[in-house]
Amino acid sequence: MQNGNPDDGFTCSPQWRISTRPTAAKKHLADALAPYLYSAPALILIVTVMLVPLVLGISYAFRDIQLLNPFSGGFVGLDHFRTLSQDQNFYRALRNTLWWTGWSVLLQFVFGLILALLLDKPFFGRAIVQALVFLPWAVPSFLAGLNWAWLFNPVVGPLPHWLFAVGIMSEPNNILSDPQLAMWGPIIANVWWGIPFFAVTLLAALQAIPRDLYEAASIDGAGPVQRFISITLPFLAPTIAITVLLRTVWISNFADLIIVMTNGGPADRTQIVASYIFTQAFKRLDFGYASAIALVLLVLLITYSMLIVVLRQWLLSKD
Amino acid sequence: MASIDIAAIHKSYGIHPVLHGIDLAIKDGEFVVLVGPSGCGKSTLLRMIAGLEAVTDGEIRIDGKRVNDLAPKDRDIAMVFQSYALYPHMSVAKNMSYSLRLRKTAKETIASVVARAANKLGLDPLMERRPKALSGGQRQRVAMGRAIVREPKAFLFDEPLSNLDARLREQMRAEIKKLHKDLGATSIYVTHDQIEAMTLADRIVAMHGGIIQQVGSPLDLYDNPANLFVAGFIGSPGMNFFEGRYMLVDGKPVFAPTGGVELALEAPANLSDGSRATLGIRPEHVVLGAEGPETQMAAIDLVEPTGFGIILHLTLGPVSLNAFTLDRRFLNATGTVAVRLPANHLHFFDESGRKV
Repeated sequence: MQNGNPDDGFTCSPQWRISTRPTAAKKHLADALAPYLYSAPALILIVTVMLVPLVLGISYAFRDIQLLNPFSGGFVGLDHFRTLSQDQNFYRALRNTLWWTGWSVLLQFVFGLILALLLDKPFFGRAIVQALVFLPWAVPSFLAGLNWAWLFNPVVGPLPHWLFAVGIMSEPNNILSDPQLAMWGPIIANVWWGIPFFAVTLLAALQAIPRDLYEAASIDGAGPVQRFISITLPFLAPTIAITVLLRTVWISNFADLIIVMTNGGPADRTQIVASYIFTQAFKRLDFGYASAIALVLLVLLITYSMLIVVLRQWLLSKD
Repeated sequence: MASIDIAAIHKSYGIHPVLHGIDLAIKDGEFVVLVGPSGCGKSTLLRMIAGLEAVTDGEIRIDGKRVNDLAPKDRDIAMVFQSYALYPHMSVAKNMSYSLRLRKTAKETIASVVARAANKLGLDPLMERRPKALSGGQRQRVAMGRAIVREPKAFLFDEPLSNLDARLREQMRAEIKKLHKDLGATSIYVTHDQIEAMTLADRIVAMHGGIIQQVGSPLDLYDNPANLFVAGFIGSPGMNFFEGRYMLVDGKPVFAPTGGVELALEAPANLSDGSRATLGIRPEHVVLGAEGPETQMAAIDLVEPTGFGIILHLTLGPVSLNAFTLDRRFLNATGTVAVRLPANHLHFFDESGRKV
């Protein structure tokens, strides 16, 4: 409605307004509603498929939800979290998650960067190689996991025999069944699977660096290492920051390879938080407890992301 | 400071030859401008001197020392790029001191050298800024500052003013000239802009098709172009050319443009009777409204005022002819005008395009 000023002498009854200017009022209403109507389909979709399940899931964390117990479902307050704080398996899974995520991200990044730097140099058949490099990313993760599990299996796979032949292993055993080494199985599979992501994003960033900067630096007296440090790295830094952040969150949540290759074993040595949640929810069917763990993981990941965002802001403001 | 000698330089990319035997001796402290149309090989030649392109054949010597196989950083030259190529994540001061820091120069020396260069280029208030916070002209100055702090043997400029607007280009042109007067450094400057070439150069090297067409002082190239290419490239508006035949009619020299009316010439040219030739005259040398036996009547097609002067587009029989005049009476000229082509300003080129 228009701003009716009671002192301007032109105040009039609502009836008068509606009866004489119905189209204006309607148009005003339509204008006010338009943005909400346009965004409504997307908002409704987001609310129904994301927010509602999220709130429901959070509520499970405070309730006793066990699929096989018809009397469960009651409100238990912070009981799940009290149990969780005493749960040694959870702490082990947390430590394993750090180990799993840290090595996976680090190795994926290092090999991805090396690959990107190699692909940035012109050579015969580069276009084909660039396309081929992306291939592992296109393999479904559970297929990748199965293949790697077989490769590590001394009965059908060659890897243990090779490792034995070059003297790394004392006998051709399956590393997936060795409590000390089991985590390296899924990590190696994950590195193989995740290198293309880093290679392709870093390659795109590399190719955006103006070539004459390298020429100017080489005239200024910079060798290959100095050029890499003073030109390549600063240009790649924003891409590195965002890709490492994204991959860290994805990988710490990424239980597919572990479930397929070791199922958390042997003796929970490869159990990460995400696979522990999976085990609690779908093996033990204790959705209440699983939701409580998931909530903790969510809080940890959000905290991590916020830290990175703050760090990035701080670095940018320093410029 | 040093001399630069270029001897029989060839360059090819695969089977594609780009430079066909370039010979050029640049004296210590000289300002040489390589000028030519796009693709003539001038930038390639400059990049070969810088060490950014490999030499296919021939020899480049800086200060008497063969540098063919030296890395750019060991040639002790500085280069200013068309795109400025400033390091975007470094401040102006860091950009300028980068080369010195790489050479592990003492901090105090760096500070004083950079401060002096900044002062010379008027960059003092900008030293802590990043390149993205600078205007085009300021970036250009930083690029030059980065070059002069090292006191290299030679400066190489690769079309450094092409990205600036016309007004700024004029200004920076004058600054480069002043800087060269101050430093007296050997400089090689690549441009396709003949005004830059004319105003800056001690000597101009006109290039076309990977071959040097003429080397000489700016006025040399203007007054005595060695061939058709240089004659057409230097000067604006460009020189008029008439193809035709040089003849002697009753002992009097005549030039007969192909399909046109014979032009009586005031003086004989160094050509044999009946030989094919090209006659050239600069628009500013065409005399308008002349009287006398050698005048011809030309039809006025178009009048282009440039502010400073007026360009008249004329037709003389079937051939067209441009004339440039400062006389404002021709601003509204129509119909025909009497023109004379004075003998001392005529250029004759033989069949191969060489000046005779």
